[in-house]
Amino acid sequence: MRTNPSSRKDKCHPRAAQFARIFLFALGVLLFISANLLLTETVKASQNQQANGTPTPMPSPTPTFDMSRLTRPELPEVPSQADQGLQTFFGVCIACHGDRGQGLTDEWRLGAYGEDSDCWQSGCHGKDHPPQGFEIPKTLTFPALGTASSLGRFENAQQLYDYVVVMMPWWKPRSLTPEQAWQITAYILKLKGSLPDGLVLSETNASAVPVHRLISTPQNNNTPIFFFIGMLVLTVLGLITRDFFARRENAPPPNLIAGPVIRPSFVSHLHPPTIPAMQSRWRYTLGAGGMAVFLSLVLLITGLLEMFYYIPTPEKAAISVETIVSFVPLGALVRNLHYWSAQLLVIVALIHLARVIFTGAYSAQRKFNFLLGLGLFVLVILLDFTGYVLRWDEGVRWALTAGTNLLKSIPFVGNAVYIFVLGGRDAGPAALLRFYSWHIYVLSLVCGFVIVWHLFRVRRDGGIAAAPVTERETTTRITRTDLLKREVLGMFVGGIVLLILAVLMPAPISSPIRGGTILDADSSAPWFFLWVQQLLKSGDPFLLGVLLPLAVIIFIGALPYLFKDVKQNELGRWFPRSGSIVQLLFIIIAVIIMALTVLSIVNPL
Amino acid sequence: MKKLSRREFLKLATNSLLGLSGTFALGGLIRFLSYEMEPAPPSEYDLGSEVDYPPGSRTLLMHIPAVLIHSNEGYLAFSLVCTHLGCTVEHKDREYECPCHGSKYDEKGYVTRGPSNTPLKRLRVEVNEVGSIILHMV
Repeated sequence: MRTNPSSRKDKCHPRAAQFARIFLFALGVLLFISANLLLTETVKASQNQQANGTPTPMPSPTPTFDMSRLTRPELPEVPSQADQGLQTFFGVCIACHGDRGQGLTDEWRLGAYGEDSDCWQSGCHGKDHPPQGFEIPKTLTFPALGTASSLGRFENAQQLYDYVVVMMPWWKPRSLTPEQAWQITAYILKLKGSLPDGLVLSETNASAVPVHRLISTPQNNNTPIFFFIGMLVLTVLGLITRDFFARRENAPPPNLIAGPVIRPSFVSHLHPPTIPAMQSRWRYTLGAGGMAVFLSLVLLITGLLEMFYYIPTPEKAAISVETIVSFVPLGALVRNLHYWSAQLLVIVALIHLARVIFTGAYSAQRKFNFLLGLGLFVLVILLDFTGYVLRWDEGVRWALTAGTNLLKSIPFVGNAVYIFVLGGRDAGPAALLRFYSWHIYVLSLVCGFVIVWHLFRVRRDGGIAAAPVTERETTTRITRTDLLKREVLGMFVGGIVLLILAVLMPAPISSPIRGGTILDADSSAPWFFLWVQQLLKSGDPFLLGVLLPLAVIIFIGALPYLFKDVKQNELGRWFPRSGSIVQLLFIIIAVIIMALTVLSIVNPL
Repeated sequence: MKKLSRREFLKLATNSLLGLSGTFALGGLIRFLSYEMEPAPPSEYDLGSEVDYPPGSRTLLMHIPAVLIHSNEGYLAFSLVCTHLGCTVEHKDREYECPCHGSKYDEKGYVTRGPSNTPLKRLRVEVNEVGSIILHMV
């Protein structure tokens, strides 16, 4: 076939035949050259063998070996982890693994060691090795590190590190410090071409770094900020222009009850046409309720985004979180926003609760909505705890153990409740999967439903609490357009705060939980449970860890039912006198909880 | 007893039937979610040859987690799971301390400081016919 390509000529397209001819010719030339080269190598080798008189069939020492390869390269002024790894590598590893991680190749052995190049027979590592020497097992091959096919048994940098730190160097295993071992691991990844730019390997992220392929560069630059600020500015500009034209067409009179004539859009429709000016001021609402809605929306969106990468298995959970943070473009921003929105939501919800208590807005027809709000707060806490646990890293280990064991402490039904919530007898894979389902589906869904109900009840109960029209200092009202503008301003400020927090203070993540080994496990509860942890230090888990917190919530919920309603004419302003007992009780509870939290912070175990 | 009107009776019947079906559904949901996906943790551990635990030794078995003490009086083993809320206690200067809420236990697992009020769980140690140590968890 090769000899007679022309026989196919009439069958093939003429151009294809031409290509085939050229290809075959090139192949022939290549074969000829390589055969010649091979032949000369063998001839040279046999000639050398005869000259030296050694029986071992071995290629000659390459006279062209560049001896400068043996000198340790200079450390750059700002050394990276891999640069430092190279320094150790030259001192410890190159003897067996070669200066470029090529392994103990003949070229390296013969070039670098000259007459001692037969490692198995020379004095260094043979039968009569000197005190510093060590015997090399004959069956052992010294693997190349830097080639495409090398290190096949390691999947990620953590596995490679674990091997290096325990098994290397061959003659004195475990003599590398963890820091050196990380540096060497980084250098090996660099050799393999799979070290992401600017990444510093550690327990936290190594499991997420594959050995055999380069993942995209981690984003440690400022693009997220510009991205987010750009987004915010565009939103505001859009709303301003929209509103500007709306006002021009339809300037509303200052005290219009019916609102603009135009049919309201969906967003406007969620608001009453007008609301009392006095009660729409920041100093009255503190903007907390609206901010809670905004944070919930941020949580919903960022949470959905995280779902695209998060893997709810004990082996992969922490690694997938690390992947989001270190490698997914804008991933760190998304996770940090999710984290900070969740933290701020607890605070904002508490501020909202305090505002409602201190303005007497819990009484009369609003009692039920007060309960709904309190229920929402409990849901938010549960969402925070389940979300916190989803990290499944050393940081959540004890909070998870202690928090879930509280369920077991419930008399009679404790074990059944535990299995219902965790899906097993201990906090294993089933528990993680279940927490995932509770967090992203059950709790979020219920929470969303109650949010809508809560907002609906605000309208149904007569809008924001205010004194009867006849008893007001002023009856000025603002339109929903103005209200919307304030909300947008609130979102803008909230967005900026979130962004600053997200950029400056990354959400915590520590090394994945790996079997029975306990590394730097953090023993403090999440901050909103610190007071419970402090209580638990002094006694019975069920009494102090379950009943008491429940009692606090139930007591706060019962306040409007236990005490007389706030007088109608005192509504709509801060600290109505007729609600002073409720306010006092609330302050006492708040102070005790804060004191316990502070105690727990200043007096850790 | 007040006589039920036709309307009231039908309303009561509807509500109780709906309530009953709801209760059934709830019961089904609870049963559905109470399945244990994972096998229960092992009830005994084979710790290997007796030779590895010479008299006077104290071995921390973190994978269980438990401690095995071989003294002149024989073997003594107890779990390292704090009896308060289940964190693993840490061995620090001749006592065991819980990182979560600060309970302390002495060398033999008895409480020296609260909040815990029960000693660390004693585990039965058995040496089988081939000289391996078996640790019984229950």
